[in-house]
Amino acid sequence: MGDTQWPRYEVFGQDKEGNPHRNVGSVHAVDPEMALQNARDVFVRRPQTTSIWVVPAANILSKTQQEISEYLDLKSHIDQENKKTETYLVFQKLSQRPSMTFVVHTGQVEASSAFDALKKSVELFGEKETYVWWICPERTVYESIDDDIESMFSQAHDKKYRMPQDYRLTLEMMELKKGKR
Amino acid sequence: MEASVELALCRRLLMMADDELILGHRNSEWAGHAPILEEDIAFANIAQDEMGHAAIWYRILSDITGDSADKLVFFRDATAYRNCQLVELPKGDWAMTIVRQYLFDSFELVRTSLLFDSQYGPLAEAAGKIRPEELYHYRHTSNWIKRLGLGTQESNVRTQRALEYLWPFTKQLFILFDEEEPSVNAGLFPESSIIEIKWLDIVKPFLRESGLKAPDINQLIEVDRVEHTPHLDVLLNEMQEVARLDPNAQW
Repeated sequence: MGDTQWPRYEVFGQDKEGNPHRNVGSVHAVDPEMALQNARDVFVRRPQTTSIWVVPAANILSKTQQEISEYLDLKSHIDQENKKTETYLVFQKLSQRPSMTFVVHTGQVEASSAFDALKKSVELFGEKETYVWWICPERTVYESIDDDIESMFSQAHDKKYRMPQDYRLTLEMMELKKGKR
Repeated sequence: MEASVELALCRRLLMMADDELILGHRNSEWAGHAPILEEDIAFANIAQDEMGHAAIWYRILSDITGDSADKLVFFRDATAYRNCQLVELPKGDWAMTIVRQYLFDSFELVRTSLLFDSQYGPLAEAAGKIRPEELYHYRHTSNWIKRLGLGTQESNVRTQRALEYLWPFTKQLFILFDEEEPSVNAGLFPESSIIEIKWLDIVKPFLRESGLKAPDINQLIEVDRVEHTPHLDVLLNEMQEVARLDPNAQW
């Protein structure tokens, strides 16, 4: 019995213009437009977001710190000549802090394959300790546009009732307990 | 403001608020039951948006009449509600929900755009606030209509069936109380026939592109908003149950 779920898309959110996109989780969808809408519904319930990207999980090459040297060695004999190059986006997990989201967008490289892109990324961006590397072709990214900001993201700002700070339940419960209410 | 104009304004505000409230309630019924997790959350978001819109209209109304939203929502019987029948119908299957939502979202989008030009400040301002959310609702439901209509044979059949069942109820969106004219003449509200024409111009081609066909015109249900189906009683029983247990409770 096969997997009946729709394809999975990884979601990257940008919390402020100028900040890098970070992976916030994933959604299942039938196509990129639905993935974008689902990503907005699932991950932009609370402010603040200015842009989201969705990428089919199948298009992402992912290697951990432990896996990477073995992986790069394994394919080192493959001939990469005569292949067209394209832009690959690079994401790295640079922190083990629990509050940090998973990988963050750190840059891009021109490469002829995901393997080639990963190899180049390690050379260019590898001086920082990296726990996980993600690579995907730029063409597989489906993103929200500036016009979307108002209808997709801004309205979350008004919905303060979605923020935990909006509820003073704890204080009220304590007062009830003490018989002050 | 002239008495007849104010009366018409209050009646239309109540209709808009009741529409949003009842539809929001129907949307919320999908929580925990939607076909996929993401739609569960999407419909919860949409329900919250609709409730928010209802709250806005009730508040504008309350500024005029003094009736609190809580009193109107929890302590009116079905006979006093002024929503259209389209929104009180049960949620049905996914196709039924999506078609009903699409027919209403497209209507709201047209009406909100026209309300920008209202001569009544609070209305124009509210329309400006609501429109971005309506844009998103429309994007969400219209995409689903396309996918269901052009999807599998089963999805197309179910969606067509839902459309045939729901289409007759849409006429009521464009019929109002007798006293519509003062509010239109005073520039407070757009004329219903204009909303209807713009709505048909959007909806009919889109349905066709989605592999669906709107039924013939002569099956339309033209009733006053005073008349409701038995579904509204059931809905209100559930929605008002807790509040009515202790009408004087402090929330």
